[in-house]
Amino acid sequence: MTAATADRAKLLAKRNRLEAWKRRLPLLPALLFTIVVTQVPFVLSLWYSFTEWRINPPSPRTFIGVDNYTGLVSNSFFRDAAFTTIFMTVASVLLSLLLGTGLALLLDRDFFGRGLARTLLITPFLIMPVVAGLVWKTQMFNSSFGVLNWILETLGFDSIEFVSRWPAGSIIVVLVWQWMPFMMLIVLAGLQGQDPSVLEAARVDGASSFSIFGQITLPQLRPYLELGTLLGTIYLIQVFDHVEVITGGGPGSTNIPYFVFQRSIGGGWRFGEASAFSIVVVVASIVIANLGLRVLSNLLEGEAP
Amino acid sequence: MADVTYDGATRIYPGTEIAAVDSLDLDIADGEFLVLVGPSGSGKSTALRMLAGLEFIDGGSVSIGGRDVTLTPPQDRDIAMVFQNYALYPNMTVAANMGFALKQRGIEKEERARRVREAAKVLDLEEYLDRKPKNLSGGQRQRVAMGRAIVREPQVFLMDEPLSNLDAKLRVQTRTELAELQARLGVTTVYVTHDQVEAMTMGHRVAVLRDGKLQQVARPRDLYSTPANRFVAGFIGSPAMNLIDVDPGNGPLQLGTAPITGAPASGTAVGTVGVRPEHLRLGSTGINGRVTVIEELGSQAFVHVAIEHEGRDEVLVVRDEGETDIQRNDNVQVGILGPCHLFGTDGERIDQ
Ligand SMILES: Nc1ncnc2c1ncn2[C@@H]1O[C@H](COP(=O)(O)OP(=O)(O)OP(=O)(O)O)[C@@H](O)[C@H]1O
Ligand SMILES: [Mg+2]
Repeated sequence: MTAATADRAKLLAKRNRLEAWKRRLPLLPALLFTIVVTQVPFVLSLWYSFTEWRINPPSPRTFIGVDNYTGLVSNSFFRDAAFTTIFMTVASVLLSLLLGTGLALLLDRDFFGRGLARTLLITPFLIMPVVAGLVWKTQMFNSSFGVLNWILETLGFDSIEFVSRWPAGSIIVVLVWQWMPFMMLIVLAGLQGQDPSVLEAARVDGASSFSIFGQITLPQLRPYLELGTLLGTIYLIQVFDHVEVITGGGPGSTNIPYFVFQRSIGGGWRFGEASAFSIVVVVASIVIANLGLRVLSNLLEGEAP
Repeated sequence: MADVTYDGATRIYPGTEIAAVDSLDLDIADGEFLVLVGPSGSGKSTALRMLAGLEFIDGGSVSIGGRDVTLTPPQDRDIAMVFQNYALYPNMTVAANMGFALKQRGIEKEERARRVREAAKVLDLEEYLDRKPKNLSGGQRQRVAMGRAIVREPQVFLMDEPLSNLDAKLRVQTRTELAELQARLGVTTVYVTHDQVEAMTMGHRVAVLRDGKLQQVARPRDLYSTPANRFVAGFIGSPAMNLIDVDPGNGPLQLGTAPITGAPASGTAVGTVGVRPEHLRLGSTGINGRVTVIEELGSQAFVHVAIEHEGRDEVLVVRDEGETDIQRNDNVQVGILGPCHLFGTDGERIDQ
């Protein structure tokens, strides 16, 4: 009898293992693929960042330790690029979050044509970054046939060459334009997830619309704002297309991804150094995203009665 | 403290044809506990929300303390409302929840804290003041919602089924506590429930709604003893009144084979005869019937008796006190002890 139960247990264990593999097997190719395309390049970059590796003129790859990293500190171009990255990321995340929240608040109320308005507002997010950059550069900013200058001239002002006057600012405008709908959607989800009777209770309790927003809606939106900040930061820290298309890295607009590009396949051909830069971007993304979250959380921490 | 008046108040929701509340006329005295009761969808919540200012009023008017508030926004009506799902502010502590309304009025922090503590003491919430609503039990949340209303010291309390999320035992206990609290504070209260036992036990007066129309407003006793129409007769009382249709043209009024005393005062034709279970008795004389179900409650039993009435089968529920040895399928006689209620073919009460 004990032999029979032991046999049964063995059989059950075998079946469980089989079940587990049945579930794992179909996932395996996707898992391997993900590892190959994300983790392997990262590990390779990490390795390259410890080497001196030039292609033009061709020279053998040699291990040089952390020299690429120590070189970074004294590299004033890198410091400028780092500053530009931080400035561009923070400005575009905050502005798109602010404007997105405003739009979400407007869209949260019922009005005729709300569906259409929402669809139209989402479109900038659906446009390819390169296309968005081109459209803004040639149709909006351009000094001779851009819409903005046409407005300025119609109003009697002199035309302005926006892109060369404010290179980083121009890029930020386009980034905000593209990312505002994303923030709007996230905040809208938060607004529509609110319990309407809580808002009614606040009105009965004598709160004005303004204090309802500040004391009830905003604290409840906190996780949504945090999510928007996190995702926005992760994406915007590695913006490349807009820089390439709008300014081509013009003064004060070269961020780290663009700098990495310049130093490697963009003409510098110094892959070891560029790898070190990109590793720094990854680390910085994590640090900045965390800092952003911390700051936002503190801002929204509810006060005592 | 104030009286409340609905004067032909009507609410038609956008996109619907029929009024959710249809020209409601209701006078509620200062300090009164009025219960709005009715089946689901009868417009109780809508009527309450119209008074709170949360629902647009399509016709008629509503006034509080003699002041017409039909167009006044909720924040200027000086009312406190307890919502069915409590609607506590999830991001605030219990103390902040209760002090929220005072804070909006610009009352100072010390005064606020004092009043919150006072209310918390009344409601036994002192140890929970620093907790967030999500860390409270259902009963505690209900008390916080109450507390949020009483710290306000408003003109009127509005409550929308505040006990419906509590378990049966807690509900009975809270029911009496709430009635006591209201009596002590003396604040005019409008209370919505679909539970007629709650309505009867708590209300000074009870208003019965059906399909947005007011059926009757009366003291619980009067509602029970003289229902204004067939609907109220069937809705109030548990188990419900026996309501048996009679053929108007059929000579002397009879229930089965038993004659019904008391002819209608007017010459109106009787459509329905109603008699409460406690006004019937199983005995050796009366209408012949057969027992189909026995609901034994300990102190009393409700016996369902199938009888023949005007050639149809009807069931009478009879209250039987004390121990019975009646079995299912026994043949019994049902005697009529107390008064019968007569309703016209239109369902309205016919006075005898
Ligand atoms: N926002 C709305 N839009 C359209 N119709 C509504 C709306 N709210 C309620 N109604 C309708 O109005 C009628 C009355 O609803 P109300 O909520 O007042 O009923 P109630 O008596 O409170 O019912 P319950 O006991 O189920 O809460 C119902 O027929 C309901 O379908
Ligand atoms: Mg309701």
